[in-house]
Amino acid sequence: MQEIPMTWYLIVSAILFTIGVVGVLVRRNPLTVFMSIELMLNAVNLSFITFSKYLDSVDGQMFVFLVLTVAAAEVVVGLAIIVSIFRTRRNINVDELNVLRG
Amino acid sequence: MTGTLIAFFVLAAATIASGLGVILFKNAVYSALSLILTLLFLALFYLQLGAMFIAVVQILIYAGAIMVLFLFVVTMLASEEAGDVTTPDRRPWQRGIAATLGFILVGALSYLLFTNTSLDSATKASAANSLSDHVKTLGNTEAFGTALFHGFSFPFEITSLLIIVALLGAMVLGRRSLGRDGQK
Repeated sequence: MQEIPMTWYLIVSAILFTIGVVGVLVRRNPLTVFMSIELMLNAVNLSFITFSKYLDSVDGQMFVFLVLTVAAAEVVVGLAIIVSIFRTRRNINVDELNVLRG
Repeated sequence: MTGTLIAFFVLAAATIASGLGVILFKNAVYSALSLILTLLFLALFYLQLGAMFIAVVQILIYAGAIMVLFLFVVTMLASEEAGDVTTPDRRPWQRGIAATLGFILVGALSYLLFTNTSLDSATKASAANSLSDHVKTLGNTEAFGTALFHGFSFPFEITSLLIIVALLGAMVLGRRSLGRDGQK
């Protein structure tokens, strides 16, 4: 079990994080942008769990637990905002959402 | 011992492939399903790293609750938004620049990870609060719970406040604002 180097897990985490960053930069659909943010959060969670194992400390798992609840709150508020944007204007392309006024 | 190695590579390939699916699918529903797959693979990673409780929580909360909310909203809005294709591509250079920046980011991160990754033995947990010892004597979930309610009880309580605020915020945002004439 210990034979897999810690670096490999961190590389997977880095790749996933980068996929999330590119998704945020490229996609125009706010829902997909949101999913990319989730991907980044999960990439960081993988790093936390990896450090938790290789430092032999429970703190990493605790952080993941807290990140999970923060992510849940973030998704709830973000999706509510997207739905209310969609209600006022039919278009939800992020390039055209440059006015905060309703 | 090579079994874990093979499992790691298969998992890594599957996770990265499904992660790419999230940003490459045109249809948001496919993206959401691909994200669910990624989250499940990450739960398997957590199992491999010995974090059983977090793996189960990941499946229940993330792949279950959060993604159901996502899919609900995606399917609610999907009937009228047709994805990225219908709107004219006003920024054609965006993709190339984003891909370049992504390669720079992953290159820099890998370079840093490969050049200095030696863990200081001083940063390792002392024998008194070693996770593996706790897991051996208490079991995984109990070790987690003990740590949560002894060292992290204040952040845990703050979390409840955060959830209340998010709940109220979602209710306020989701409410149809009634004007004076009773119509928006």
